[in-house]
Amino acid sequence: MADTNAHRHGLEPFLASVESAAEARVRVGVVSDRGFLTLRLDPRNGAATAAARILGQPLPPASSAYTEVVHRVYWLGPDEWLIETGANRAAELISELSEALAGRPAAVNDVSGGHVSLRVSGVDARTVLAKGCTLDMHPREFGPGQCARTSLAKAVVVLSVADDAPTYSVIVGRSSSDYLCRWLAHAARPHGVRFSILQDT
Amino acid sequence: MAAMQPNRLQQGGRIDRTRPLTFSFDGEVCEGFAGDTLASALIAGDLSLVGRSFKLRRPRGIVGSGAEEPNAIMQVGAGAAAQPNLLATQVELHEGLVAHTTKGWPGVRFDAGAINDIFGRMLSAGFYYKTFMYPRSLWKLYERLIRASAGFGRSPAAPDPDTYEHMNAHCDVLVAGGGPAGLMAALAAARSGARVILADEQNEFGGSLLACTESIDGKPAAEWAAGVVAELRNHPDCTLLPRSTVFGYHDHNFLTIAERCTVDAGSSGDGVASMRPPGEGVRERLWRVRARQVVLAQGSFERPLVYCNNDRPGVMLASAVSTYIHRYAVLPGRRAVVFTNNDSAYRAAIDLADAGAEVTAIVDSRPGGAGELGARAQALQIPVLAGHVVCDVAGRRRVRGAGIARWDGDCWDTVRSTIRIDCDLVAMSGGWNPAVHLHSQAGGRLAWDNSQLCFVPSQARQAHLSAGACNGRRSLGECLADGLRAGREAVSKLGMEPTAVEAPAAATVPENPIEALWRVPAAKDADRCPKQFIDFQNDTSVADIRLAVREGYRNVEHVKRYTALGFGTDQGKLGNINGLAVLADILGKAIPEVGTTTFRPAYTPVSFGVGAGESVGPLYDPVRKTALHEWHEAAGAPMEVVGQWHRPWYFPRDGEALHAAVARECLAVRNSVGAMDASTLGKIDARGSDVVEFLERIYTHDVGRMKIGRCVYGIMLGEDGMLMDDGVMARLGEQHFYLTTTTGGAAHVLGWLEKWLQTEWPELEVYLTSLTEHYSTIAVAGPNSRRVLESLGCDIPLDKESFPFMAVRPAVLADMRVTLFRVSFSGELAFEINIDSNFALAMWERVMEAGKAFDIAPYGTETMHVLRAEKGFIIVGQETDGSVTPVDLGMNWLLSKEKDFLGKRSLRRPDCLREDRKQLIGLLSSDDRTVLPEGTQLVEETGKPTPVPMCGHVTSSYRSACLGHPIALALVAGGRNRKGETIQAVLPDREPLPVQIVAPTFYDPRGRRQHV
Repeated sequence: MADTNAHRHGLEPFLASVESAAEARVRVGVVSDRGFLTLRLDPRNGAATAAARILGQPLPPASSAYTEVVHRVYWLGPDEWLIETGANRAAELISELSEALAGRPAAVNDVSGGHVSLRVSGVDARTVLAKGCTLDMHPREFGPGQCARTSLAKAVVVLSVADDAPTYSVIVGRSSSDYLCRWLAHAARPHGVRFSILQDT
Repeated sequence: MAAMQPNRLQQGGRIDRTRPLTFSFDGEVCEGFAGDTLASALIAGDLSLVGRSFKLRRPRGIVGSGAEEPNAIMQVGAGAAAQPNLLATQVELHEGLVAHTTKGWPGVRFDAGAINDIFGRMLSAGFYYKTFMYPRSLWKLYERLIRASAGFGRSPAAPDPDTYEHMNAHCDVLVAGGGPAGLMAALAAARSGARVILADEQNEFGGSLLACTESIDGKPAAEWAAGVVAELRNHPDCTLLPRSTVFGYHDHNFLTIAERCTVDAGSSGDGVASMRPPGEGVRERLWRVRARQVVLAQGSFERPLVYCNNDRPGVMLASAVSTYIHRYAVLPGRRAVVFTNNDSAYRAAIDLADAGAEVTAIVDSRPGGAGELGARAQALQIPVLAGHVVCDVAGRRRVRGAGIARWDGDCWDTVRSTIRIDCDLVAMSGGWNPAVHLHSQAGGRLAWDNSQLCFVPSQARQAHLSAGACNGRRSLGECLADGLRAGREAVSKLGMEPTAVEAPAAATVPENPIEALWRVPAAKDADRCPKQFIDFQNDTSVADIRLAVREGYRNVEHVKRYTALGFGTDQGKLGNINGLAVLADILGKAIPEVGTTTFRPAYTPVSFGVGAGESVGPLYDPVRKTALHEWHEAAGAPMEVVGQWHRPWYFPRDGEALHAAVARECLAVRNSVGAMDASTLGKIDARGSDVVEFLERIYTHDVGRMKIGRCVYGIMLGEDGMLMDDGVMARLGEQHFYLTTTTGGAAHVLGWLEKWLQTEWPELEVYLTSLTEHYSTIAVAGPNSRRVLESLGCDIPLDKESFPFMAVRPAVLADMRVTLFRVSFSGELAFEINIDSNFALAMWERVMEAGKAFDIAPYGTETMHVLRAEKGFIIVGQETDGSVTPVDLGMNWLLSKEKDFLGKRSLRRPDCLREDRKQLIGLLSSDDRTVLPEGTQLVEETGKPTPVPMCGHVTSSYRSACLGHPIALALVAGGRNRKGETIQAVLPDREPLPVQIVAPTFYDPRGRRQHV
């Protein structure tokens, strides 16, 4: 319904002003047009199954894991998941999930406006993230399929490994995304860094 | 070269003779080579005088070759990039380096303060405490003078142009120290597949191996070390950190390492910053390491010996002499006396002789002399005076001779028979202190080793092992084997299988045992003889310790503080054990009974820059921006920082100042329409079958009575009954609510609610979701606000009957999906538009466009404050401070009598029922113009003798444009029943102002304007 041209992730002014290095050992992509849902439910009864049926994939049952089939579903707590999907699919997914979970102990909320999705990749990506994150990101400890709600610099993020290139996915609160990108630009400057817009990945 | 570096040996050393370097020292041009430290280059240039002592201003020279150096403290670099407090022994030489000594006025060679030395007997321990107490009125003058003469170096005044960073790292085994033991431990761990970090403070790995003549596996030691380093470099999970000092061992096996990443290019003169362009590269990096196991292999420090004038330039540690000869190819003296109570100093004598110096005598306090090394010395025809001691040193700015006496353990007889030997170098060794600093920082215990006369690590408290010289091992072979053992043990403790590694072969030289010699007695009483220094950096002598004991100090920690023993950057690396031994002797106790002082981080000085890392300037505190931020910026709005949010303060038109802009914005809202970005409010979605029950317990009003589609103003209290947070609560469905919180309280409130749900009432089925970031909130306020919204196109009727005050509706506005609230924080007809933040800017622009017909004014936080104060609406944190109840604020109507809620019982405490509690009231200035400063204290009457009891304070105060006079909110004792009375506002720099107590609602007290 809304004019898609009106959609803004909020990093436009930053991206217009940031300088890119000729040789980039770190690349930061701002994934535009992402949709986000918060799903809270009690997994001990049928709610989890009902949600999985709509999502077309299981909810990650283990702590600090995510599943990726149709959408990316991140485990954030024993009764809390974050779903990342295409912006154009969020509304439909919410109504389907709400319908399927009606009468069950559950809550589905659209949080698309509150999150910004970044992809950090390149040979020095892990080094740069380690400057601001206290998690052990060694591939043996933190690989594809794992996620964590943690701090990157002074921002709260959901961090995960998207692939073993490695590409890291960083989901950050909208209001802190400008700060986080400025921090990334600073921390990655000695390595060469390039920012770009990524279309729906 | 020879002219400028008279002490440079013709060959040898690990310096690169093809890369000569020029540097400046106290303004003089000097030369050295790549691979030199500043200290070795100064010695090469025969610049023996490098500092003045802290208190007595005695001339001082270089004593050591590493972290233990007490005297050669330099200011390096110039301008903003200058670094104070660096040890010359740790500064790598580079082209253009600028170094200054840090003590001495007008200069280090002639120091006016040296007069202190003449009166040195008066400047004993406690001098400052005793002298500058009286008269008290002069303390300010004393303080200025003392501060001017204190400290090592000057802090640059301009901002640091360099970049620093932090790095978080994890490993299986962290090895601190890259000498023989550290290399072996790292090798054993890396070969077993462990993730290893090896950190060493020097520019090259190898430690003592870089300056010794011994061989390992038949290879020169340094070559063997290079081979190990090459192998470690090939292990993918091994991180090698040269130039990196492990300076802190904290709880949970968390260690901090300071890495010097780029060597400064230096400066070409005063005022010119470093040649390395500021911001390019990283100067220093702080490693924050979580290690599963730690191997401490930092080696050991040689101890000085204590005798008269043992601080003269040219008195050095014997091991430092060897290091300068072998590693840097410089000869610290031509005619040397070596003074020792153990075998190790014989190596220095042999090294000196091999390098062409004359060793006039090895003075060994032990009647039996040394073991195999003694025989080697004698083969070189070095005279050995066994059973002798050095008891005094001649020379002031440079050693000129040593007084030597026969030693039989009794001072008075021996010293009378002193003979003098001319020399320009005294190389001394009083034994070795394992570097137990990190072990102790980690909480590990120490044990006294009576055969080696030193403290060695005993019980560890965290997951760490000590290895090599810092574990009390002496010979090279022992150190290698101990390092291998520690590396394998660390790996085993991790549950990994240690790979078999052969211990390398190294010769073990048989030694004679060390003899206790803590102080060479002097001809006179210690208080009258020339100073016998224990702590060079702090000018602490034997006499000072005796004085401290005489004055009643017994505990080692007290003696430390009274005498400054072990203070400062030095942290007692050289002097501590000698000091303890002297104290033990005076107290008639054994050394372990006296104990040690506490070792604390940092092991060596750490720059402020590396501590701050990236958290400087704009990255110091995160900035949170709303979805409308760029619009506000483009409109030229100054920002107010609220929490971490940057909110527009006001929107100046045509260069308006704050007050003009706020007055205009206020009148626009009162008379037409204004719009504000209220996105920073906390927003929480709450739902679940028990949500009503839950909210009843949290909020004070009757939640269950709320109708769907309606809002109320709600407050929550702490368990103490004090107001915690407030906001609008909307009922969206039977079991579905939407809560707003204050901007600053958003995170705390969500945490508070989750805490009750998760820990106290887990049986309640309620789900909370923060929507603070998802929704942006645009407040449109003023009599024309409805018309603005209508002109945008809205799918629901907005008239008073269909959409009354305090209603909430989902709607489509300007073709965008929103939730509309008819709530008002200004007292006017107002709407709050909640919209997905992705579309908030588009909506705001549409609102501003539609508002043009009504001259809509965007307004900021200041106008919001004025408007709400005119209505007497409170701000949590401004009218409240954690000690204000809702009753104090006149909010009794919000407190349900029919249910319990958090804090309710506390409201019945006698203190909460007092009639004279401070209550919220309004104040009017009697002169109709004075805007009372917020925080102004209020008193009943003036002219009374002080202290005048205060009856309240001003919490909010503004100039009201629509009322034409100032208004203020205040908390006044018993204020609610005092309307019409006059009290006094105490103002700075002027007479108190009478102010009248009025009701806190100044504008439209019946609230008619919001109901239209």
